[in-house]
Amino acid sequence: MNEKYLNLKEAICDGDDEAALDEVENLLEASANPLDIFTDCVEPTLNELGEQFAKLEIFLPDLVLAGEAVAAIQSKLLPIMQEQNIKGRQKGRGVIATVSGDIHDIGKNMVCLMMQINGFEMVDLGVDVAPMEILRRAEEMDADIVALSGLMLPSLPFMKETIELVRHSSKLGGHTKIMVGGGPVTKEWADANGADGYSDDSIGAVKLAHELMGLSA
Amino acid sequence: MNQKAKIFDVVRRSIEGPIVSEQDFDMKHIYQNLKKIVKKYDIRLESENIINFNDELADRVWDAAIEFLAKAGIFCKDTGRIIQYTEEEIRQSIRMAPDHAVFGEGNDTVHEYARTADDPRPPVNLGGSVNVPCPNEYFVPIMLSYMQEPRVDFHCPTTNLTTINGLELRTRTPLEIFAAYEEVALFRHVAAMSGRAGMPYNGVGISVSDVGELAASHLMKKTDSHSIGIISELKVDYAILNKIAQCVMLDHQVMPYANPIYGGLGGGLNTQVVLLTAEMIALSIVFMGTTVGTTPTHPNLFCSTTKELLQMTSVAFQAISRNSHIMTRLTHTMVGGLATKTFLYEIIASCLVAVKSGLARLQGPRAATGAITGACSGLEARFQGEVLHAAVKIDRQKAEEIARKAYEKYKDDLDKKPYGKPFWEVYDVKTVQPSQEWLDVYNAVREEAIGWGLPLDQV
Repeated sequence: MNEKYLNLKEAICDGDDEAALDEVENLLEASANPLDIFTDCVEPTLNELGEQFAKLEIFLPDLVLAGEAVAAIQSKLLPIMQEQNIKGRQKGRGVIATVSGDIHDIGKNMVCLMMQINGFEMVDLGVDVAPMEILRRAEEMDADIVALSGLMLPSLPFMKETIELVRHSSKLGGHTKIMVGGGPVTKEWADANGADGYSDDSIGAVKLAHELMGLSA
Repeated sequence: MNQKAKIFDVVRRSIEGPIVSEQDFDMKHIYQNLKKIVKKYDIRLESENIINFNDELADRVWDAAIEFLAKAGIFCKDTGRIIQYTEEEIRQSIRMAPDHAVFGEGNDTVHEYARTADDPRPPVNLGGSVNVPCPNEYFVPIMLSYMQEPRVDFHCPTTNLTTINGLELRTRTPLEIFAAYEEVALFRHVAAMSGRAGMPYNGVGISVSDVGELAASHLMKKTDSHSIGIISELKVDYAILNKIAQCVMLDHQVMPYANPIYGGLGGGLNTQVVLLTAEMIALSIVFMGTTVGTTPTHPNLFCSTTKELLQMTSVAFQAISRNSHIMTRLTHTMVGGLATKTFLYEIIASCLVAVKSGLARLQGPRAATGAITGACSGLEARFQGEVLHAAVKIDRQKAEEIARKAYEKYKDDLDKKPYGKPFWEVYDVKTVQPSQEWLDVYNAVREEAIGWGLPLDQV
């Protein structure tokens, strides 16, 4: 990574959004391109954090704080990029939920956060969410991805129902990819019930989301 | 304060407590408080030991956990408020926790005690996995395979009913009510079939929402226990409090549990051990637990048997057993599955941690992460019971030596996910007897452990 980005990298890793914003200001004053800040600093830093999380060298709260710092950077840079008509790489947007029948949320939160920090715009609908509500929110944002989690057996019928609802939605137009995961879910279950992909952890989910969107991770 | 007054007080605090956003609760109340308190109390788990030998560390974790719980509180998702207690209220409530309970009836009566780390009495063996996906046709033979084992003291339905009259179960619907009734009825039926009509029951396993629990709880006995999960980390909603209120009004025994995920909101080893201890204290004082439970879980391997999780479990349970008479339960989860040696080595290490850390009750073992269809049988519960009884005959140092040997045997297998075979491939489903293949694996590991000095031949 170019030396000029090291302070920003440190601020993201520390989850220090104030320091991150100060450093972004410094970089802009030094004529850095906003898109380069993302591609040459923010994205590689997040990839590094993701790898550290996979090895449990850092933990979920560290990722949350890093994600907040990146959100602050985005809120600063995106208006400038729009003003200068600079187009960033859109990875996709979607909803994520633990479906009805289950109240486990930490696994789902990990997947959501890892997808967010890897550039996907994800809306977390929470736990024990009814299939119709997931469909409504997915249609509302024209979701590219619907990610469904369930750790309890009674959540599986609701997961299946959600998949059917998304598949039959005329508003979503068939482009929406469905990812599933959680304790009782297997690849075989995912294949048999019409999901586009399955992952059993947050790192795999990010990889899968890239594959489904036709992107390289 | 009696139980009804206590739950009423919890509800009042959930309505009148300070308002906070859920995100602030997670990051500020939980994580930032944990970091500050871990620093203040200098909590560092640095030993190479699997079982804790540092009493002073356990005591500091205890004090840290009480201070943390008083600062963080418990978040009520329905009201967005914090159910908060002062340190003095927490300490007072801990003093009122039960130190003994009776479960089951007649010849199947089980006495559960608050144990110490070097207690000569083994923990209660709640033999049974939880929520293992499995076709309905194996529900009865699997349950029978556990109940026929004399070392199994207590049971929970290991698999969940998956359909009712051909319809897939859906929570918060009449189907959940039908399933809850059927689960209780089948438990009693199989208990009677196995000659253990008085066996205590931990349920209602199928009741994810409050619907099934409220419907069927009156079918349970005062000598059973109600398994009620809270939301990680330190969160509750009214569906959970509804279940507890019903148990209190029936004068039934509640067994609440919390399942922290390692590396999750509780962070790493040093912060997580304080969170784990605080959660069990909260389960006692807020969730009316007769016995309070936990299943620390690894985020990638979905088990509780990695070294750091075993170490954390040992310190947290010793913190509680050294400083209170709260009765504790661990539900342990393995990566290894049926007919694998990995599974049995994991059971040995985890049981030794349990016995030498003062647990009152051990639930499990849960094979193959608890998520593989049909991965459960009575033979592993027999082995678990035998290890629990053998472990009280050796001292903590010897237990540590054996736990390390067992750990060395399985640690490199965890990534390989040796999920083993389903019940119907390792048991004769008609006679409900283990296959020679499964018995050979069991006998081989048993002999090996005897060779290490675990007196399985004396129990």
